[in-house]
Amino acid sequence: MSVTRKDVEKIAALAELGVDAAAAAELETQLTRILAFVARLAEVTDDATSAADERAARLRRDAVDPDPLSRAPREFAPAFTEGLFTVPRLGELDRGDGP
Amino acid sequence: MTDFVRAATDAGRRIAACEAKGVHAFLAWSDAVLLEQAQRLAAAGATGPLAGEVVAVKDVIAESSFPTTCGSKILEGWRSPFEATAVRRLRAAGAIVAGKTVCDEFAMGSSTEWCAFGPSRHPLDPTRVPGGSSGGSAAAVAAGAVTMALGSETGGSVRQPAAFCGVVGIKPTYGRVSRYGLVAFGSSLDQIGTLGKDVASAARLLGVISGRDDRDATSLDRIPLGEPGPAPATLKGTVIGVPREYFPAGLHPGVRAASDRALARLRDLGAEVRDVSLPHTPYAVPTYYIVAPAEASSNLARYDGVRYGPRPDGALADVRAVYRATRGRGFGPEVRRRILLGTYVLSAGYYDAYYGKAQRVREAIRADFARVFVQGVHALFTPTTPTPAFRFGENTADPLAMYLSDVYVCTANLAWVPALSLPIGRDQGLPIGGQLIGAMEGEATIIRIAQALEGAVDATAEVR
Repeated sequence: MSVTRKDVEKIAALAELGVDAAAAAELETQLTRILAFVARLAEVTDDATSAADERAARLRRDAVDPDPLSRAPREFAPAFTEGLFTVPRLGELDRGDGP
Repeated sequence: MTDFVRAATDAGRRIAACEAKGVHAFLAWSDAVLLEQAQRLAAAGATGPLAGEVVAVKDVIAESSFPTTCGSKILEGWRSPFEATAVRRLRAAGAIVAGKTVCDEFAMGSSTEWCAFGPSRHPLDPTRVPGGSSGGSAAAVAAGAVTMALGSETGGSVRQPAAFCGVVGIKPTYGRVSRYGLVAFGSSLDQIGTLGKDVASAARLLGVISGRDDRDATSLDRIPLGEPGPAPATLKGTVIGVPREYFPAGLHPGVRAASDRALARLRDLGAEVRDVSLPHTPYAVPTYYIVAPAEASSNLARYDGVRYGPRPDGALADVRAVYRATRGRGFGPEVRRRILLGTYVLSAGYYDAYYGKAQRVREAIRADFARVFVQGVHALFTPTTPTPAFRFGENTADPLAMYLSDVYVCTANLAWVPALSLPIGRDQGLPIGGQLIGAMEGEATIIRIAQALEGAVDATAEVR
């Protein structure tokens, strides 16, 4: 199995890891060699759990998603205007007349 | 009564001499910190099984006197707000922390060449590596700076440098020592281990740091191992298994000669030496290099420039750009390689072919060990490493060659069983390590056998 430049860029994005062009070229070769080495595990026969087995791990798609919030910011913000939290000036807080 | 101040002053002198020789075993230490600890222990009238012992601590273990950098630029200068349970226990036993020792970045490596702050050098031959990743701890003990040290293992990182440097290293059963405060690399494999100038030193330290800790859900509910007993005079009734997969035809002749001599001494002591087989051994390194990077890719996600790690200078487009720049610049080449490898084998298209398969083969490796131990074998004897210490630069260009130096040690981590390395001879001046592997929770057995073997073999004699 050969690891391509596109593969390196994809997994670097998934890992949130900046990789420059020179490093990416080296990684293509190194990861291809390492994966060829570990692929020898295919020689071992085992009673593999089939992918259709209900106990198999459920995988999410390969993507970097924002951390999900259970409620939208607007719902728990004391004040929210034009997509921003609205906060009192410090002086207003001292007088106790914040929102 | 223990003279703590004298113990600290003497240790400071020994550490300074070790570092002046260019060993570079320590990333951080100071006479002032040594003295301050000694004065505090003396004022408290401290007693305990390690009273006055000075113990070096690998830099992946949280400790509050010095930064905990994990040998990485991404944690340069970072100080832990808490101490590892192992460190708290050795302090409670009256010990003084010597300082933090050099290790490969985040414990990923077998030579300390991947430490961002420079490698340690072999105390007997500065052109050679001390092994890794706990190479600084092993070098500190071998150079006489300390008599004991903490290291950590994910795939042999205590035993391999112990073998290279000619000291004793113990990897306990998974769960024997709390992982609280050990910076996570591969959580299903990681264990804190101990190094010592002899079997008793390493075993005493293990006895103190072992035992249940509510802060680590994977810690075993067992009482601490305590002090080791005296070395037995005979091993009559003890069965030692010799797994043939660890003695291939091409084994380094010095390693083979040292192993043969150690096995002869075990027979002389009355042990029965029996040929056994662990058939999945050839698959241990490939399994390890899927499982460990997969876990590392997840554990190291926290170093992102927000929670940990320095933010790069200059304007960046968004938080994602901060993550990528921090991680890209902060991690060294081996850590980057393993994060990417781990991410690859966990990605949806390859998860079952690589990670799922590796987990199943790991079970087969565990079953190999279990099968041998239920057949009446008390411990296994193998070489610790396929060769003596290698030269700087010999394996850095080829990651696979470096990984293969773990071939005899990573099996015990995959199978969770305890294992120990002790020096059994020298080849052309370089130490050779012999390994004893025990059944689950069989530390006392392998320590007892090691004590007997240590007394019967001249570890500094040339083997051929």
